[in-house]
Amino acid sequence: MPLGANLTQEKIVFALAVLLALGFALALPGFLTTQNVLNLLRSVSILGILGVAMGLVVIGRGIDLSLVALMAVSVAWMLTLVSGGMPLPLALAVALGFSLLVGALNGWLVAYAEIPAIFATLAMGTLIYGFGRYFLFSMDVAYIPEGARPILILGQSDLFGVPLPIFLFAGTCLIGHLFLRYAIPGRYLRAVGDNLPAARITGIPVRPVIVLQYVLSSGIGFLAGLITAASVDSMNTRLALSTYVYDVILVVVLGGIGLSGGKGGIRNVVVGTLLIGVLLNGMTIMDIQYTLQNVIKGGLLLAAIVIDTILNPRDEQTAQQGDI
Amino acid sequence: MTSLIELRNATKEYRGVPAVKNVTFTLEKGEVHALLGENGAGKSTLTKMISGVVDPTAGELFIDGEPAVLTTPAEALKRGIAMVYQETSLVPSLTVAQNIYLSDNRRFHRLRGIYIAGQQFLQSLNFPVDPTAMVSALGAGQKQMVEIARAVHHDAKVIIFDEPTATLTPEEKHQFFALVERLKARGVSIIFISHALEEALAISDRITVLRDGEHVITDATANFDRESIVRAMVGRTLTDELYGAHRDRQTRPAGRKVLSVQNLSMGNMVRNTSFSVFAGQITGVFGLIGSGRTEAAKVVSGVMKRDLFHGGQVMLDGAPVRYRVPRPAVRDGILYVTEDRKAEGFFETMSIAENIHLGALAGGQTKGSSVSMAEMRNLAEHWVKALNVRAINADARVIELSGGNQQKVVIAKSLVQKPKLVIFDEPTRGVDVGAIAEIHQIINSLADQGIAVMVISSYLPEILHLSDRILVCRQGRIVEEFEGHRADEETIMYAAVH
Repeated sequence: MPLGANLTQEKIVFALAVLLALGFALALPGFLTTQNVLNLLRSVSILGILGVAMGLVVIGRGIDLSLVALMAVSVAWMLTLVSGGMPLPLALAVALGFSLLVGALNGWLVAYAEIPAIFATLAMGTLIYGFGRYFLFSMDVAYIPEGARPILILGQSDLFGVPLPIFLFAGTCLIGHLFLRYAIPGRYLRAVGDNLPAARITGIPVRPVIVLQYVLSSGIGFLAGLITAASVDSMNTRLALSTYVYDVILVVVLGGIGLSGGKGGIRNVVVGTLLIGVLLNGMTIMDIQYTLQNVIKGGLLLAAIVIDTILNPRDEQTAQQGDI
Repeated sequence: MTSLIELRNATKEYRGVPAVKNVTFTLEKGEVHALLGENGAGKSTLTKMISGVVDPTAGELFIDGEPAVLTTPAEALKRGIAMVYQETSLVPSLTVAQNIYLSDNRRFHRLRGIYIAGQQFLQSLNFPVDPTAMVSALGAGQKQMVEIARAVHHDAKVIIFDEPTATLTPEEKHQFFALVERLKARGVSIIFISHALEEALAISDRITVLRDGEHVITDATANFDRESIVRAMVGRTLTDELYGAHRDRQTRPAGRKVLSVQNLSMGNMVRNTSFSVFAGQITGVFGLIGSGRTEAAKVVSGVMKRDLFHGGQVMLDGAPVRYRVPRPAVRDGILYVTEDRKAEGFFETMSIAENIHLGALAGGQTKGSSVSMAEMRNLAEHWVKALNVRAINADARVIELSGGNQQKVVIAKSLVQKPKLVIFDEPTRGVDVGAIAEIHQIINSLADQGIAVMVISSYLPEILHLSDRILVCRQGRIVEEFEGHRADEETIMYAAVH
């Protein structure tokens, strides 16, 4: 085996992240301080948690474009409910239930109505934002009311000097990893993403598994939404209209989870998140404009995909039943 | 005299692994040259070096005695070398004529113009294909005719056929052979890759056999018979075991009636058909492609979507069953082993162990409520050994295995589910000769264990070799039933086509 054969996109991206971090550490004086490193991790932990949610769906050969919209609307609604006098635990339960229900609806549309995931969730994202804005709350930004202050702990507290969101990111990754590796539904999810007709013939409950993946992503998304709100004291529902969801997809694809399904795991999300984290942090320290940052992010994604295609060619040879 | 094509001392390596080792191959003008060998013998790679699809790692190509370097298929086409693929390379959403004239140098065509020209051209080749028909609406045989027409249109001097007859009905095959004769008469040289030895013997002038990427023998067809080819292909004699039309051993008696299908109808494909399958014996179902045999099996096992279901009754062990999805059928012990393992058989990103283990999980054959790595490994080791899957270890990915070993993994994935009835659909399609015998042995041992087995095949020797009972399917119904030892090829074929 030549050396190149074992280089996966995951390894390349990880190496790139390390190199970039080394470069920044040498070139930028403020980069390699404990404070900045923690800051860096903290700033990407929400993106990383959303990456886990998206990653699970993408491994199951789906995509969830309603992820960010749903998280913004359900958390904003939760805050509105608390402002209206509902006790926090009840409001949390209601909003989480709403979130999971919409996730299940996404899953139903994809699995049972057989609508392509990209359209079903795109439409659902738009629908949910409009629905929330019209029926559930009237302001774009929902501030954390007095009654919901306990959730601030999620975003603004430290444990052993490390911000809590970093622990939450790590915990989500660990649970996600264990789910994919040891839970039977996790196995099924990978199988469905790898080859749906084969999964069906094998007797795997394909459609419930698809519903499950969207329910999981909306549940994890809700957690990410809570941390977002707790970090900045509010939930800005205009997030639903931003390109944030594409950043999440960037993290997933950059890390090496193939959009064709079945490929990759939570490790890939971590690696993708790290690279984006290092990059954004470095660029912010260097005071690079936001618009230029987008150019760099996009270019990086293209580069990663191109390198992967060169190192792991999927020519006709490998595609054809191993018939040499 | 110089050959039309000469590939001299060619070697092709993929990531350091040689697929073709130092092979010299010549093609004369106007000859039909059959290229034979097991899967993985290097046939496809060899022809791809001639047609510009892959670059040789070492070796030279001569066309008309002149050295040539072909880096793309388009270049090869310009030099008159065309390849007709197993999986057709036509554009499904274009019409027949558009496909034929697709890669012409002219940038624009008048549709009317190409339809008229296409009509005349197809007629001159004696192809019954409508030039205005959408390619996606054509059958496999017609698609192939379009591919051939396209090659002829480009004035191909050499046409390479990769498994041309695999998807054709016998009638279409005869048309294909007639066409090969006509092409030959026009002075076209043909390279013919096939698994069907009888066909190679019937239509070729010369035969080259490859084994494990190496050249074994090239000689005039007259100097070969089936046995000597098989010996050259596998390096051992399997002929009697494999191709013996009649068996000496007794047919197994029918056990209890496991499956009984009454008046099943579904769309145009299955019309009011009735049949039964018994425990402890192999029921062979022979039918031409499109006779509804696969569809009937897929309805029984819940694989086919029920939208088209028009009624009838399926009984499992005397109780009526009706499956909307395969899962309850799997849980009841009815397993369908697919004819298309790549599309719906195995999970390509997963290892052998994970594939087999998924079968156990889905069949409810595992202990505990989470995945146990130890259980998975033991299961995999057991089945890899039991079915003689040749791989480095159980962690190898299925996509890296040969066709025969992939098929064994797919079969193992089903057998872990403790079947009552196993339906094998074309169990040895795309499987090399050595593995065919092993897979037949696996199927036989299932019946010996008392499991009801149904084997669907369009390969008559396979049906005759395996079956205790033979059902013949034609136009959506079972039309005849034979005792295994009473049937011969001609009677069965007669029932299937008339």
